[in-house]
Formats: sequence, structure tokens, C-alpha cells
Amino acid sequence: MPNIVIDDREIEVPAGTKVIDAARQLDIMIPRFCYHVALGSVGACRVCAVKFVEGPFKGVQMSCMIDAKDGMVVSTTDEEAVEFRKYVIECLMLHHPHDCPVCDEGGHCLLQDMTISGGHGIRRYLGSKRTYRDQYLGPLVQHEMNRCIHCYRCSRFYQEFAGYRDLGVMQSANRVFFGRYEDGILESPFTGNLSDICPTGVYTDKPSRFIGRRWDYERSPSLCINCSLGCHTVASARYRQLVRQEARYSEEVNGYFICDRGRYGFFYASHEKRPRRALVEGEEVAYHQAIDTVREKLAQISGSAGPEAIACLSSERSSLETQAMLKRVCQNKNWSGPLFFMEQSLAEKVKTATARLEPGLTVSLRELEQADFILAVGADPINEAPMLALAMRQAQRFGGRVVVIDPRPIFLPFDFQHLPVRLHEVDLYLSLMIKAAVDRETATELGPSAAEFYQTIPTLETAAVPLQEQIATLAQELRGCQRPVIVCGTEVVPQTTPALAADQVLLLKAMDKQTGLFYLMPGANTFGASLLSGDDGSFSTTLESIEKGKIKALIVTERDLFWKYQNKQRLERIIEKLDLLVVLDYVDSETAQKSDVFFPVSSLYEAGGVFINQEGRVQVAPKVYLGGTPIKQNSGGGHPPRVYGVGIPGSEPRPAWQVVVEIGNGELPPDEETAFATTRKWLAEGNPVFANLPPIDQFPDDGVRLGPALDVGSRFSLDWQTERHPKRNSDGLELILVDWTFGTEELSIYSPHLRQVEKEPCLSMHTSDAVRLGLSSGDKVAIRFDGGRVEASLCVAENMASGVIVMPRHRLLEWQKIKELPRIVRFEEIEKVSV
Amino acid sequence: MLPTELRASLAEQIASVDHPRELLVDVMFAVQDHYGYLSDQAVEEVADLLGMTPLEVEELATFYTFVYRHRVGKYVIHVCDSVICWMDGHESLVEHLERKLEIKMGETTPDGLFTLLPVCCIGYCDRAPAILINKKVYGPLTPEKIDEILAKLQGEA
Repeated sequence: MPNIVIDDREIEVPAGTKVIDAARQLDIMIPRFCYHVALGSVGACRVCAVKFVEGPFKGVQMSCMIDAKDGMVVSTTDEEAVEFRKYVIECLMLHHPHDCPVCDEGGHCLLQDMTISGGHGIRRYLGSKRTYRDQYLGPLVQHEMNRCIHCYRCSRFYQEFAGYRDLGVMQSANRVFFGRYEDGILESPFTGNLSDICPTGVYTDKPSRFIGRRWDYERSPSLCINCSLGCHTVASARYRQLVRQEARYSEEVNGYFICDRGRYGFFYASHEKRPRRALVEGEEVAYHQAIDTVREKLAQISGSAGPEAIACLSSERSSLETQAMLKRVCQNKNWSGPLFFMEQSLAEKVKTATARLEPGLTVSLRELEQADFILAVGADPINEAPMLALAMRQAQRFGGRVVVIDPRPIFLPFDFQHLPVRLHEVDLYLSLMIKAAVDRETATELGPSAAEFYQTIPTLETAAVPLQEQIATLAQELRGCQRPVIVCGTEVVPQTTPALAADQVLLLKAMDKQTGLFYLMPGANTFGASLLSGDDGSFSTTLESIEKGKIKALIVTERDLFWKYQNKQRLERIIEKLDLLVVLDYVDSETAQKSDVFFPVSSLYEAGGVFINQEGRVQVAPKVYLGGTPIKQNSGGGHPPRVYGVGIPGSEPRPAWQVVVEIGNGELPPDEETAFATTRKWLAEGNPVFANLPPIDQFPDDGVRLGPALDVGSRFSLDWQTERHPKRNSDGLELILVDWTFGTEELSIYSPHLRQVEKEPCLSMHTSDAVRLGLSSGDKVAIRFDGGRVEASLCVAENMASGVIVMPRHRLLEWQKIKELPRIVRFEEIEKVSV
Repeated sequence: MLPTELRASLAEQIASVDHPRELLVDVMFAVQDHYGYLSDQAVEEVADLLGMTPLEVEELATFYTFVYRHRVGKYVIHVCDSVICWMDGHESLVEHLERKLEIKMGETTPDGLFTLLPVCCIGYCDRAPAILINKKVYGPLTPEKIDEILAKLQGEA
């Protein structure tokens, strides 16, 4: 490892470290514009010049372009280097419009910092300035090219790092222009990062324009809860309104970037329709009155029909505290539940995934970037967890191979191999490929069950499936790779896939490979839900009990029943049937609107909370601000109303766990720290894995990854071979319900900005099926479901399995008319709608 | 729209290489030869032929001096704008051309015959000051010689 001296201080750094990074390790911040750790060096801006005094290079050189070498002596303060940087800054500032007072970047602008620290103050250039026409780039990013200093960070991030192809660099020399071919909404779901990485104000955050300067905001680290990855963010609030989120660096999870769903998904928190008062039968009441009403009604029901007539339903987006408190209250009161999932099969798949994440197999998102072979099974990264796609892209950029086994028309922003097979074939194709890559002897070494498992997988020759050659070639590559990772979805896949994926990872690991396993889960705290979820009962039995009148009251925390349930009519009837529906939420969901008693609760930003991401990483989101109705909303744009009263207007919402405790007549912990300590203690009694969690204020930044959380159960099960699958139906298409990046996630749909970038929902089917039905892309079609017709336009795709029809659970589609799942859509149920 | 024949021959060339992108400049020139310049429509057609996005084509199209993204005259006069020509009377050459054609640098004569554009060193320093008209070099130039050339081209047009 080379030893280098920078400003008279010595440091040893790994070979290949650039001098600019070596200096960073000594806390010496060499100026930079074009250099970014994630994007690498290009040497375009010349502002990181330092003087090399001794060693293989001499004189003023760019510190981002030179690897640290033994014997190097570098000075960042040398007169020549300082003067050089001063001229570079002056040169870069020649055309700058000097519009800092009206620029949204002003105050957190790298160009401002470098100009000041570089010593450039007086403008000497008197010529006319180069100017540009700006472009409309969509609702998320504002373009202002005159401020550009041509560092190329944006085009490098957009094209090289993220793999999208509609923003880049045009023209030459002094006319260099960064933008699109023509005005239009940026196609990438990672566009917000442009605002983060631009060292000046060319790309600024559009939704938060004109709201404030960074120092005006209440800023705090936070977490993203719009998918299961748990990316790190910084949230900013001003005047009781959450106004902006930025990416926060995380070594283990998201690196420097986040996706647009996470960044702009927060608008529910300050939504003008956000309910802020407790409601009883639709009437606003004081919080304690509502608590009294609920307690009274629950006591009546409990007295007349027994405590089990009260059921609780928790949520995958609730914090661990809320989930745990609800469970505790249920146990104390002998109420039914709580249930954490509305779909029993999903609950089981997720629990399998949770159990199978053994130490030594689990990889983080950042570790996944190092993989040289990624096999994704039943996962659609861009739509389900966009940042996963970005991580896979990095693996692919550095030579890794990516293979996706999935029936859906998968798009990824890089080259990959897609095996578009039906859902029930996913297990087989995964197994075929692994078998072809793993030796029999290796499998035998793992014990008799592994040997039998291996033995029962058909060989490629005997299976005689389509795509055989492709699989054989890929298996050869898999055999030769060192760091393979299997990515496994839990939503659309068959029941057996999560366990099978883990078994196949074990086989690969036995081949002396550094193997990884990465699951995707449906919600931000699904992992927590699966740890707390009991074996007793499922949502469908709860529904039946309500229908039979056995359950009379339902308490729902932070969940919209209608959001992900396929039978709306049944839910409506059930809500009618219930004596009492209590809903706790921070959004005005359909379930909230139909509740008998409603409690407004704090959002993540007001309450904070503990969330466990899909790899079992326990992370803490601190409070960002106190909450309350945004001043903008109760002032009409002017001075806030002058009313007498204590407390913050609209601050009735309180953390869901508090409401849960109070509903259950429990004793309220005095503060959050005690609450978490109590929760942790109680959780640890149920599952020792929680015992090692630190106190809430001592969590490391990247959280704590839980050890083995559930009993692994039986490895190398042969169930996948005998699992019953819907037979291939010759007169219909198997319906697959899916998520999209925008428009299907419960919280981000409240963002008016993301609504503008949503794509129109469409159904997808394979060309051969479309031909058979006489349909083509763009046709408006209707499907007759048991609950009514659903109309949508059709996308015909070649890159998907035949025999399936893919439908997004989009907010603009009334897919809740489906009624029963799984569902085969018969051909005669699909008709073309004449326009 | 490109004529079917040209489209087919370009598609064939593209199919014969490993990375279609490497033919981008050739395809742009072929399409430009057909239209006279690379219109927006042409950029989109080129992108379509090569499986690239219009942005990716535009990135290169706007980088090169000899790809014209605006309509140009029948004769495009590129006046060498580099050191040797500067020393040998470039300035008076430009003045003369502008006066004679009654247009400024970067403009096209109303009759659509001549476009005046600067170009970085074209390597004919031995013939400075030099110009390039439709890929043919002229130099060393004097006002008289320029008049002669222009008159000849006007006659041919």
C-alpha cells in the first residue's frame, strides 16, 4: 500500500486511491467540481490542482487523475497551485450569471464555496457572456444552463452511472450544452440526483423552488419508506410543511443516490387533505373523547361477544414500535391478531425469506454492486425497488452478468438476459441453471438432503425446455464467476420460490464462491411485520369471521384495506357489517373515510421510527419536525391567523403507537426513548434477535443487521417440484398483478409532482396472445371481471412470457373488481373497446 | 422520409458491423447528403436506423463542424480560422467574403447559394489563407481569386 505525504502529513492508502481521495482521508478537502467519488475522475474542471513536490510526478497536476504512489510529496497550499486554482475558478466564473440571490442552489452551492475559497472576488472579464436557452425537463428538475461550469457530472451520472439515454452533452467548446434533445419529461426514475450532484444551480429541485434556503429548513436525516430497501434521505421542513428530500450517503444501503419515488414520495405528509382531527362517525371530536368512545365501544363488544370479536390489522409501512405495540395490546387484551398481511401466501413467502436470510448469505445493496453474476428471480427492480436496478447496473458496468427469470416485460437500464417464463416455470428454470453450474460432488458434500435435492432437479438435456442453449451458456458463465448473487422477489413468485432461491444459493456457495442472497419485500417494514406475525389466522379467515358475525370490531393501523385487495365489493360489505371500524392513519385513505372512529397519526417525519429493511437491517429515522398544519395552508398565503390557543395548529396527530397503547388502556411511556427501550425489551422476550439492538439514540448510521431472525426450517425442500400450479390454460391468460415505479405505491401517489411523471396504466400481453385476440398495442381493451369491467389500453410486448396478462395495481385502474385470485382471464372475457 | 433504397443500403451497412454506433458519422453524412443538411427529422431517422436515441445522435451531430443542423446554401464556404491563416490575411478575407456575399459569418445568401462558416485548421497552412467549398480546398487566396471562384460557382449553379 502506497505511502504518501500530503501537506506534511503521511498516510497509507490502498493502491489505486487517487490523491484527491487520499487527502480526503486526512480531512483535507481539495476543491473539486467534476470529481465525484461515485462517478470517478475525468479531469475536466482543473480545479483540484495541487503541487507534486517529490515522487514520479512533478509540478502542478490534477489530484483527481493521479494515483497515490510511494514517495509522493504533495502540497495543496503551494503558492503555484493556489494561484493555478484561482485562475481556474476565475475562468469557470467568466460566463456565470452571478444570480446567487435568486438561485435555489445559493447557500449550498459548491461553486460559491470554491469561488470564495479559491480567492476569486473581482470580475475582470468585461466581454459579453455566453447564454443558453433552458429546457423543460419535467416537474422534478429545473434547468438553468447559464450557471453551468461544464463539469459533466450530470451527463456522466445520467448515462454512465444510471444508464438512461435522454440527457447528455451537446455542442462543443464554449457552447457545450447539457440537456435533452428537446423539451420533455426526463425518462429516468433517478432524475432528482441531478439536483444533488450538480455543483451549481443548473439542476435544482423543482417542487421546493421559492420555498426557502437550506438554512431556513428544519433538516434531519430520515429514511425512505416507499419501498423495502430503506434508503437514506435528508428531509427538510419549513413552516410546518415538508418541502424537500435529498439523498443521504449510506455506505451499506444506497450509496450517494436515491430514486425519484423515494425523493418525491413525501407529499402525503403535508397534503392539504391530510386528516388532522379525530373523527367519530364523521364528526370532529377531541382526541381524548375519541379514545373514550373507542374504549367504551370495545368494552361493550368484548363484554357481549368476547375479546376475540375484536380484530387488529397492522401494516408493513408502520414502524416497529407501532407494530410491536399493537401486538402487545392484542395479547394483553386477548383480541384477535394482529395480522400484518392481507394475503396469506405473501405472508408465508415473506416469512420464508426472513428465515432464510442467514448470516454469510445476506448481501446489502452496496455489496450487490460487487457481484459478477446476478440472477434475479421474480423481481422487476425498476418497478418494485428502483435503487436495486441502479445497484445492478453498477455490477453490470464492471463486467457482471445480469439474468432475469420473470414473466413480465422487464426493462432495466443496461444489457441483461431475460428468460421470460411463466410463473410456475420460474422455479424450474432457476434450478436448471444452478444444476448446470454446480457439480454433483459439491452438492453431495452438503449432506444427503442436498444430494437428493440436486438429484431430483432435471438436467438440461432431460428437461428439454425452450431456451435450453441460452441457459447452458449462462450456466457456464455462472460456473466461472466468483461473486454470484440471487435476487428473489416475494410478490409475484410461487410459494416455493423464496426457499428454493436460498437453497440454490447454498449450492453455489458450496462451489467456493462468495455468494449472496437478496430478497425484495413489498413494504418498508415488511421484515418487522414478518418477525411479529403469528401463525394464527389469515386475513381471509378474518373476513369470513366478520361475515359470520364472529368479529365485530376491526382496528386498522396505517393501512388502506382497499389499496391492495382484489375484491372491493366484499370489503365494502364487510365494513357495513362491522359494528366498529377504527382506523389510525396519516393519509385520507378510502378505509379512513369509511371508519367509525378515526385517529390522525403522525407521519414518519413527525414521529420518527424504527424500520427493518428487506435484508434485516434495523434503521432509525429521527424526527424531522414537530408537525402541524402547514402555515401555507391555514394562512392562505398571508400572515398566519392570529388566534389564541396553546399548541401548534393541526398538531393533534400523534405517533400511532401512542394511540394504540391508549386504545388498549395501556400506560403510555413518557418519551420515545423509553418507548423504544420498552418495545425492545418486550420484543427481545419474544425473539432474542432483538436483544442486541442498541438504544435508539446509539444506532449506527447504517443501522444494525439482525442475526438469524427466525428458525431457518428445512433446507433443500423438494416442495417446489410438487407445488400445485395453475395448469397452462389454453383458453385464457394468467393474470399477474404488479407494481410500477409510479402510480401503484400507497404513499407516493399523493405527490402531485409524481402524478405528472406517471405513465398511463396499461395491460401487457405477449405478441402471440395479442395476435390470437386480434389486438395490437394502443388498443383500448376491457376485461370482464366478476366485479365489473376494467378498461385500459394495451401494450403488446415481445419480451415477456406468453400466456399471461400483466396488470399494474395502478391508482387509475379499478383492478379491485377482480374479486378472486389467482385468476385466469379467459379469452372471451377480453374485448376491444371501440373508441 | 428517406428513400427506401438509401434506407435499405444504410440498414445493410449497419447490420454488417458489431457496434452500429461506430457508423454514426457515416450514416449522418449519407443522410445529410440526401437532405442537404441534418434536419430534426433526419436526426430522428438516423437514431432509428442505428438503434440510438435522438439525443445520442445530437451529441455527435452538434460536435462536428461538417454536420449541418441548419439549412445551408448549395455551396458551404468554410473559412479556415486558425493561426497560419490569421497571419496570412484571414481577416481581410472574411471581410471581403462578407461584403461580396452581403452576409455575415454563419449566414446564408437569400438565393440559397452560399453559406459562410468558420472552420478550425484544415491543414492547408502551406496554402494560407485557405477556404474549403464543398470539400474542395482553395488557396492561397486574394480578393481577386475569391471573386473568380464565386463567379464561377454562380455560373455553375
